[in-house]
Amino acid sequence: MKKKSICRWLPIIMPVLTLFMASLLACPQTGFAKEKLLTGEVIIFQAGSLTVPLAKMEKTFETKHPGVDIVREAAGSRKCARKISDLKKPCDIMASADFTVIDGMLIPEYANWNIRFATNRLVLCYTDKSRYANKINAGNWYKILTKKGVVWGHSDPNADPCGYRSVMVLQLAEKYYKKPGLYQKLINSRPKENIRPKSVELVALLQTGNMDYAWEYRSVAVQHELKFIELPDKINLGNYKYDNFYKQAVVTLTGKKPGITIKKKGKSCTYGVTLIKNAPNREAATAFLQYMLNPEGGLKILKEMGQPPFIPCRVPTAEMMAILPAGLQKLVEIKK
Amino acid sequence: MRSKETFFWITISCGIVIMAFILIPLVEMMTAPSFAMLKETIKDKDVVRSIWLSIYTAGLAAIISFIFGTPLAYLLARTDFTGKRFVESIIDLPIVIPHPVVGIAILSIAGRNHWIGQIFSDLGIRIMGSVTGIVVVLTFVGLPFYVNAVKNGFESISPRLENVSRSLGASMFSTFFRITFPLAWRSMLIGIIMCSARAISEFGAVVIVAYHPMIAPVMIYERFEAYGLKYSQPVAVWLVSICLILFLALRILTLHNKKEA
Repeated sequence: MKKKSICRWLPIIMPVLTLFMASLLACPQTGFAKEKLLTGEVIIFQAGSLTVPLAKMEKTFETKHPGVDIVREAAGSRKCARKISDLKKPCDIMASADFTVIDGMLIPEYANWNIRFATNRLVLCYTDKSRYANKINAGNWYKILTKKGVVWGHSDPNADPCGYRSVMVLQLAEKYYKKPGLYQKLINSRPKENIRPKSVELVALLQTGNMDYAWEYRSVAVQHELKFIELPDKINLGNYKYDNFYKQAVVTLTGKKPGITIKKKGKSCTYGVTLIKNAPNREAATAFLQYMLNPEGGLKILKEMGQPPFIPCRVPTAEMMAILPAGLQKLVEIKK
Repeated sequence: MRSKETFFWITISCGIVIMAFILIPLVEMMTAPSFAMLKETIKDKDVVRSIWLSIYTAGLAAIISFIFGTPLAYLLARTDFTGKRFVESIIDLPIVIPHPVVGIAILSIAGRNHWIGQIFSDLGIRIMGSVTGIVVVLTFVGLPFYVNAVKNGFESISPRLENVSRSLGASMFSTFFRITFPLAWRSMLIGIIMCSARAISEFGAVVIVAYHPMIAPVMIYERFEAYGLKYSQPVAVWLVSICLILFLALRILTLHNKKEA
């Protein structure tokens, strides 16, 4: 009986079913047409200090574009550049804590342009349990650091811009506080063993009580909820108005081969980002940059995380502006 | 002799694939630096120091494993107790834990926020950025290889030999040193080789505990970062060559004795 009844309804069921199936197939297609579907991996090589804000941007962006998978590799900015120039590792976007790394190591061979998108400044981080934690302040920090038993460190100047910037702050402090010999005294109180490849690693050393004080970017301190001492603008490398004062700090870094060195002059912390020339996923990468450099998107996240963004972002010349991907031009102004 | 079966040719071809898989990248790396470059590198005091540091910290880790691991391996080989499987899997843990996690774990007990770190700090022992720290990490990652190798060695020796010794009045202590030890020393040597080989190759855990002083793998990484591939490869070539010679020598030593016996 039952079989028969189903058979009777078949002429009606079949077309309905077919229509339903067809609509199922068609629906997403009409959806595709509205917004271009981006897919695939976008590989970002990023400075360690950008990890937390970029992780948040990644999450938001991937919710908007479920087809895209943002793959980030954090390392010192110079190492990121090495991975592109020496190892030829595929990479779409490179975000550096020092925009001059992109200028110096990637342009013109591996990238064409360089957008400055945020600033940062150096602070001295510590925890409740650091020695003299209840005594340290913006006026006496350099006295505390040279006290016996205090363990402090910074990242490797040769591997991480935060490292040479920390050293620059110490040099500038000598000039600012007018205490000749202060720099050397500070350096002598910091054994080589307290140097780490990346500044972010020092956070773990602080939190586990292996270290009392560490030099970090302000953003890193905010993101890891560390206590920190804010230093005067003239020495914290955060205000480009003082670039002329910062210039007095000079750090010697390793050059292209062992034994050869280069001199790095003090300059305000300015973050740069670029799209790599042979980016495997240029389309999705450009879309991510569009989101990242948007005042309502990535830049807002940066601001929340203690890293003052440039609104709008900056490129140095009109020529560079002209070669930017179309979607990015409206987010950028020309400013030296 | 019968003509070879297909199975034989499968084993041969798989063998060739594996040899190529291991050798091609290594040979490529070993032959990349020029001879002049290698000479220049070995004259670099920092390089020599880091390779030497690598070798002797790995050696120390192996000796520590030998001292503390041998009795444990013996216990595991000779006795059955509830929870033995559990103990065995704990010993294997350092093999499966990601290397940076090992470093973080060790650092987190070495800091002053932990009572063990507090004791160390009072005693003036420093783990972070010290040779002590490196040896601690290398022992942590190398120990399982030693214990497992030696346990297998003990298991292959018949307990009856020990029983005979005991029944003739020898103490457990003297039985171990006069019967078991002479029979098992080869597996101990293999254990030491395995343990120090594992230790010498460790990078991820060490770089977290100690960036300076630099062991060779950390220096290779640092050179790569600072100067690029060209200047990190020669250090790698020296490390690989020296280790190859060391381990080959140890193997030949053991093999030689095996033939005698």
